[in-house]
Amino acid sequence: MKGAKAAVELLEEQGVQVMFGIPGGVLLPFYNELRDTKIRHILARHEQCAGHMADGYARVSRKPGVCVATSGPGATNLVTGVATAFMDSSPMVAITGQVATGVLGNDAFQEADSFSLMMPVTKHNFRVTDPAAFPETMRKAFMIATTGRFGPVHVDIPVDILNAEITDQQMAKEVKIPKPKRNLSGLLDAVKLLEKAERPTIMIGGGVTWSRAGSEIMRLAEMLMAPVVTTLMGKGSVPEDHPLVLGVCGMHGRQVANYALNNCDVLLAIGTRFSDRVTGKLSEFGSKTKVVHVDIDSSEIGKNVKGRVGLVGDAWTVVNALIAGLQMRKKSATWKDRIMELRKQCTCNYDLRSDPIKPQKVVYEMSKVLPQDAIVTTEVGQNQMWALHFYKCTGKRIFITSGGMGTMGFGFPAAIGAKVAKPECVVADIAGDGSLQMVSHEFATAVGNDIPVIVCLLNNGWLGMVKQWQKLFWDERYMATKFSGSPDFVKLAEAYGAEAIRVEKHSEVAEALGRAQRSKVPFLIDFVVDPEEDVLPMTPPGKTSKDWIKGRCQWKGEVC
Amino acid sequence: MEVMMLLVYDQPGVMQRVMGEFNRKRINVETIVVGKCEQKEKARIVLSIEDKEKCLSVIEHLRALQEVIEAEIVDHSRHEAYALLSSKEGICRVTGTVEQVDAIVSKSEPEKFVQTMNAI
Repeated sequence: MKGAKAAVELLEEQGVQVMFGIPGGVLLPFYNELRDTKIRHILARHEQCAGHMADGYARVSRKPGVCVATSGPGATNLVTGVATAFMDSSPMVAITGQVATGVLGNDAFQEADSFSLMMPVTKHNFRVTDPAAFPETMRKAFMIATTGRFGPVHVDIPVDILNAEITDQQMAKEVKIPKPKRNLSGLLDAVKLLEKAERPTIMIGGGVTWSRAGSEIMRLAEMLMAPVVTTLMGKGSVPEDHPLVLGVCGMHGRQVANYALNNCDVLLAIGTRFSDRVTGKLSEFGSKTKVVHVDIDSSEIGKNVKGRVGLVGDAWTVVNALIAGLQMRKKSATWKDRIMELRKQCTCNYDLRSDPIKPQKVVYEMSKVLPQDAIVTTEVGQNQMWALHFYKCTGKRIFITSGGMGTMGFGFPAAIGAKVAKPECVVADIAGDGSLQMVSHEFATAVGNDIPVIVCLLNNGWLGMVKQWQKLFWDERYMATKFSGSPDFVKLAEAYGAEAIRVEKHSEVAEALGRAQRSKVPFLIDFVVDPEEDVLPMTPPGKTSKDWIKGRCQWKGEVC
Repeated sequence: MEVMMLLVYDQPGVMQRVMGEFNRKRINVETIVVGKCEQKEKARIVLSIEDKEKCLSVIEHLRALQEVIEAEIVDHSRHEAYALLSSKEGICRVTGTVEQVDAIVSKSEPEKFVQTMNAI
């Protein structure tokens, strides 16, 4: 059979039901075969967004998201989408077309060395130069994306491979990849540390979300009487209304979470890579703390925080091993009681009744009125940090954000991908006007493919987070952060056939959210919010929690 | 000087991927030897790096690469060196321990030379 037919059959064999992409010259044989399959193809308007859609789809369905782009500019546009998935360990198979092998390297029309471009932003990548190896390459791509630490895998397919003949024997070839190595030799040390701990804290990251170890973590937390703090990527993996769950820690985290993180004697860190946004000044972080670091990726142990007990394995397995090993712990509730007392002072459920609308009010209302299985995505910047701080992930809610890469324009296409994966759930993107303007053309994709997502635009007319830093750390010397010439977002959405309303009063927020949820088409709410509202509290970059900027925060607890 | 030895699949792009990890970690690789080995379709890469800490910071990342089968830091007792020297008298090939090769190269003051580390 032809390579293109083989490609489609291999995708079907991997259980692919939907893919996101944009065709091009070298992909014509592939798209010709795609016509005759049941695989749903969603035509994006920009390859970057096709990547984010596949990423959003993967984070909800937990199956590899598939995105397709043509050679040259298609592939270069796709790089941001793939890199975003890479930084957040999201499983993805990114397929790009390539010019024919005969002219590769000759600067053919629409040729870019996408194999090299994708190399540092993928878990692994392939350039197929032999049709005989094509079937095994495709199978390997899916296996690598979903084995061990998840990640994107890129396959670059020259057009002559798509036109080449592939034999049944080549098609039948099965593949194996090595299993990820586990290393639990430190388990006894870890158990001893945790048994002796007087003030244990558990910090969980994206690894727990991917491993779905939330309920096991809560069992462990109850055994240890340890508070649980999450990173941005760990948000949503444990219910945020559980008394032991303190919420998100880090630069814009909740103060009680930072307190528990900075004042524990033993820190059990699971599926997190100690990002600078969590640790602040790395040399000061955990200087008095003993750390047990659990990660599926052995290269993470000791990368940022050194000299600790490391356990290599997936969160679910290791947490269960710890639970089994921890039967002896003497239970003292002193630390837990202190944290519970402090937690009461860290409520910050702002029901702010003032106009112009405070962005926190919008997030507060979303937290209140969205269903318990809603999926919320965010863009990057202030909108993301307000979402992180004020949106409560309870029940089966899912929180999707570009944590590692911090890609503005991620949330809207990711919401489209998420809605494709779970059409029965309400999917809302918490957006900023800066981010949305990077990807607003995807309203066409959402409308054209009948994907009714909600965009809650926190419109303050600024590149808000950069403005905030200019305000706080650069003497209010604003440069290139105030927008002029932004469109009327209501008209913009309506031009695409979406529904949209503008909300300027705090009293109308809840009603607007209700209307958006009932809409059968994509819906934009243009919340005109106070441009002078900053994301606070905040730990300044490279500093410790002692240097925090308080803002509106009511925290009266001890200095962290 | 530290020496790392990698067993890799013998494919195009492998060197780029391996060197990419050193580049990302800002590690200057002092010498590189790559060649076929006793196993079919596989190759050995022997690299030398000045600093042990840096070796340790990159080795797990190398092990995580799909094309890297093994990666180890080689004990100093197994370090070897060789050099190719060119002078008016002609070409001179030198092999031996690191100290021996260093001594010969510096003593003979060749017009041109290339010197590298190896191990097995």
